[in-house]
Amino acid sequence: MRSIAQRLISYETPKNDSSEISDTATFQVTERLRPHLATLMGNGGFRALLARALKLASAEVSWLRAVEVSPEGVLEGLEKPHARLTPAQFHEGRIVLLAQLLGLLVAFIGPGLTSRLVGEIWPQLAADNVNFGNGDKK
Amino acid sequence: MKKPKRTARLSPSKTGLSKSALPKQPVSNPAKVRIHKLSTGVPGLDDILGGGVPEFSLNMLAGAPGCGKTTLVHQIAFANATPKKPALYFTVLGEPVLKMMRYQQQFSYFDEAKVGTAVRFINLSDVVLGKDLAAVLEEIIAQVTAADAGVVVLDSFRTLARKATSDVGEVEVQSFLHRLAQFLTSWQATTFLVGEYDEDEVRDNSLFTMVDGIFWLSQVTERNSVVRKLQIMKLRGQATVPGLHTVRITSDGLQAFSRTLGLMSDKPKPARRRRLSTGIPELDNMLGGGILEGDSMLVAGPSGTGKSALATQFIAEGLRQGESGIMAIFEERPEGYTQRADSFGLNLKAAEQKGTLELLYLRPLDLSVDETMLAILEAIKRVGAKRLVIDSLVGFEMALAPGFRTDFRESLYRMIGALTGAGITILSTVEVEDNFTSLQFSHYAISFLTDDIVRLRYVEIDGQLRKMMVVIKMRGGNHSKDIREYVITSQGVVVIHPRRTDYAEMSTGIPHRTGPRKAQENEAAPEPKASN
Repeated sequence: MRSIAQRLISYETPKNDSSEISDTATFQVTERLRPHLATLMGNGGFRALLARALKLASAEVSWLRAVEVSPEGVLEGLEKPHARLTPAQFHEGRIVLLAQLLGLLVAFIGPGLTSRLVGEIWPQLAADNVNFGNGDKK
Repeated sequence: MKKPKRTARLSPSKTGLSKSALPKQPVSNPAKVRIHKLSTGVPGLDDILGGGVPEFSLNMLAGAPGCGKTTLVHQIAFANATPKKPALYFTVLGEPVLKMMRYQQQFSYFDEAKVGTAVRFINLSDVVLGKDLAAVLEEIIAQVTAADAGVVVLDSFRTLARKATSDVGEVEVQSFLHRLAQFLTSWQATTFLVGEYDEDEVRDNSLFTMVDGIFWLSQVTERNSVVRKLQIMKLRGQATVPGLHTVRITSDGLQAFSRTLGLMSDKPKPARRRRLSTGIPELDNMLGGGILEGDSMLVAGPSGTGKSALATQFIAEGLRQGESGIMAIFEERPEGYTQRADSFGLNLKAAEQKGTLELLYLRPLDLSVDETMLAILEAIKRVGAKRLVIDSLVGFEMALAPGFRTDFRESLYRMIGALTGAGITILSTVEVEDNFTSLQFSHYAISFLTDDIVRLRYVEIDGQLRKMMVVIKMRGGNHSKDIREYVITSQGVVVIHPRRTDYAEMSTGIPHRTGPRKAQENEAAPEPKASN
């Protein structure tokens, strides 16, 4: 799941950015997923899923413990860590959280449906022949 | 509005003919609107609905939790959704979508490729909780318009209605539903509202008056078995099959079993029918030449009197005549049947291999009567059977779950009626206990199901327990009234003697001699007497 997360993040990185790591204080992929998943499961449903992913990701990336999910399902409290951490450390948090979020989707609705949902937002995933595997969260 | 055109009619004054002498001209009426029907994708349900769900109708899928409402509506949505005319599935404070998708994808009808394109899930909970009914309607209209939806689902409508009723009152909810229905019909969408309702609410809740169709799902508990049932309480514009229909949920989703088993055709039997040989020449004579084609015959008798042997001969004779057959057996295993047939010189195996005979071994407990009958009907279709044996009715009933046994006779009645109507000749066996005081036909009240009854029984004669048969009833004509002795030999059932005139009260099983005793050799004792 980590490699898919990396791939999705790369899709969202501006093409003119020479570095592979975006230096913004946002989680662009999570943000793009939000309206789509909220349409499906409501804001509350998305918020619950993201909060769970954050909890799981915090076990791997400690700085994520300071981050919170707003009632609308938006990640809050990213500015301080962004200022404090190296771009690589911040980027790692993005990858781990997204991988956990995708892993939860796979665990709940399976790799097929997850692939379709994510593929609606990033059609290039199908072209890249990305496989969401058999439910493995990592 | 223009008046409909009528064909020109000849006026009597213009033709000089009297009114009655004029040839009758057909009046051309304007064509009625043809309502297309959506196939539900649920096996058996389209037949119950009278062809399917009327296009552009507003339907309520109601019942208690766990009856299969969500599965049913998913099945309908997946069966009808296309990327051009998608199904929009609005969820409202009911089962979370992730869970719904998690569970529904276990069914074979759930086509992942359709999710997001042909079948789109939209969560309305936030709008319902945060805004008013006008906003909910606005959101539905916006989504349906944008997607050009062909099917719209609101799950759970009950939750939406309950929330809105407590906020703004029942009239507002009715008004909302009226506007929603008006929009969705105009937009050519077929709509399904899903809700948890009690049957008592149907009378008092005006929502049920507004909808075009009510699909009522329930679970009926009897002893240890639970049976799912479906009733089409209402469906405007078309004739549905009334009553409670059994529903089963399998890995393929819902399957409905119509009370009529899809056998509505009640073809009248032809005036002149062939007589079919039973494979026992003397029995054919007793029956006035054989069983009338399309008759249902009951062979009743105690254990060991040769009911299954007779049934095997009936089927084997049909095969000899080029008539395919089905043997639905509930007690003995198929191997036992083929072995017995072999011992009579009847090769059933060859017919099975040729595809002109099927032995259906239907013994698992907890079957529903409709499922069992469907298995028989499908086998009949497969081999184009002209003869059917059900051996035995007692075993058939025992194979059913207790909850289904009450429906047994009614369902059997429908099946036998429909099959014989279609010209299939049926021989059923039933075990009865001989009580040696009277001649029972069956402890079931099923003799009304049959056109003909043959009774086999043990009779004590000259210190032996012999076997006798008699034709009790033959609806299609006259028959022999003789009580005839028969034996079971390597040829099967063979009727041996003409009627006995030297005994009276043969039917009791313990007759008394009225004529002179014939000289006969004493039979040797089976065992030597014990000596001191």
